[in-house]
Amino acid sequence: MSLFAFLGTLEIGLIYGLVALGVYLTFRVLDFPDLTVDGSFPMGGAVAATAIVAGVNPWLATGFAILAGAACGLVTAFLAVRCGILHLLASILTMIAAFSINIRIMGRPNIALLGENTIFTSIEKFGIDPLYGNLGMVFVIVLLVAFLILRLLSSDFGLALRATGVNDAMVAAQGGSVGYYTYVGLALSNGLVGLAGALFTMSNSFADVTSGVGTIVVGLAAVILGQTLLSGRQLWVAVIAVILGSILYRLAVAFALSTGMFGMQASDLNLITAVLVAAALIVPKMKSKVRAKISRRKTK
Amino acid sequence: MIELTDIRITFNEGTVLENKALRGVSLNIPEHEFVTIIGSNGAGKSTLLGAVSGEATISDGMVKIDGAEVTSWPVYKRAKYAARVFQNPLAGTCATLTIEENMALAYSRGKKRGWQLALSGKRRQLFRERIAMLKLGLEDRLGDSIGLLSGGQRQAVSLIMATLSDSHLLLLDEHTAALDPRMAAFILDLTSRVVKEFGLTVMMVTHSMKDALASGQRTVMLHQGQIVLDVSGAERDKLDVAHLLEMFNRVRGEELADDSLLLA
Repeated sequence: MSLFAFLGTLEIGLIYGLVALGVYLTFRVLDFPDLTVDGSFPMGGAVAATAIVAGVNPWLATGFAILAGAACGLVTAFLAVRCGILHLLASILTMIAAFSINIRIMGRPNIALLGENTIFTSIEKFGIDPLYGNLGMVFVIVLLVAFLILRLLSSDFGLALRATGVNDAMVAAQGGSVGYYTYVGLALSNGLVGLAGALFTMSNSFADVTSGVGTIVVGLAAVILGQTLLSGRQLWVAVIAVILGSILYRLAVAFALSTGMFGMQASDLNLITAVLVAAALIVPKMKSKVRAKISRRKTK
Repeated sequence: MIELTDIRITFNEGTVLENKALRGVSLNIPEHEFVTIIGSNGAGKSTLLGAVSGEATISDGMVKIDGAEVTSWPVYKRAKYAARVFQNPLAGTCATLTIEENMALAYSRGKKRGWQLALSGKRRQLFRERIAMLKLGLEDRLGDSIGLLSGGQRQAVSLIMATLSDSHLLLLDEHTAALDPRMAAFILDLTSRVVKEFGLTVMMVTHSMKDALASGQRTVMLHQGQIVLDVSGAERDKLDVAHLLEMFNRVRGEELADDSLLLA
């Protein structure tokens, strides 16, 4: 793998680290399987690209993308909490609807950002090589977001959010509205995914309505891979593991594809992902089974 | 402190499964009173507690806590007034959080939960002091996940958690029923200590007539959704389990007689 490809992979891995953080918030913290991300990711890109082409400041455009993502999360939360629709189904409905809305936002299925100002071009003025500049910028943003999430989860609010996913009856008995935490949790998660979508679009200079397909699987793969390799009870371990999982996932995929190992081609990506996620889910179960077997043998 | 006026609760109203859990219960509990509630299965004990906590939807009647009418308030809003300990030790705490995090959750009951760090030095100090009351050595294990504790220990922590917030009402729903006899006795003793120390008002549902008479100052017996006995003071001091059982059987006997009249 060339240095150029390696740095590019790191950058994508970091950007999808934000998706992984969002998925961590819903799947792990809130225990809410949320597929909305397949819609909020391209929506972040669509909003950012449309705003930038219209001449909006790229940082402001990124802000809009976050808000658009958060709005998707709120719609899912509304369908689930207020209308009592099954969580998974509520998120699928939002995801499907977002596809049409994204095309409405852009006016067409895709927008090219070549030659437009993005948050990445704004630092090129300082004479930083974009090869490292983009990566550095994404790194700083992800670091900042990770810190904010960590701080939030350690607060009074975050504690109630974390308890909501484990024992919602207890949260209610302690004066917390489970509905409220679901709304905020989903908005937060999808806001992060919207941010990732905007960064992805600006990094690639291209927004495409189909870029969201499989976002949830990639996010989930990162969460599971990261937490399998780096397990720990502390919050900061989990947050780092999730981002690291995303980078590792990208590297593994890039390596498998670039070496032409086992004669793989780019379209095999989905298959590789599915196998990777399945393996990461099975391994911990196998581990505990093997451990139980060993201890049984010892007691005999 | 608590005013219940002609509370009626019907489950599955208008269906074949219709069940009148409470049929016009009125109960006034002044501040600092410790009331124990007994009755057979299906008498409406837990439903009565649910009427106060908000868990049970009230068909008719009015609930007032601390002078505020809360009849239509959801559970989480009423939590401002009342701490609860459940029958199931796993229900009152959050297994994946640490002991101190669970306590921090209870500390913020009825307050706005914001950006403030959940575990400050000052709070930890308070949690350590309170949990030392248990004499279980948990003050050195505040950072342990609460899922590692036994059911009895978790009930004990739940009781301490109930003292961390400003409210002075405690609702106990058969909170010793799932424990072994030794632990149950410990929790019951702890309950009396905590209630005395923090001047709490208590509604305690129990299956045990012995516990009902041994704890608190007043005992209410429910039968088929109505209060059939309400004793306190000297009259209650004279009662023992045998008396209570006799009364209990008499109430049921009368009901049988009523039925036989109906059927005749």
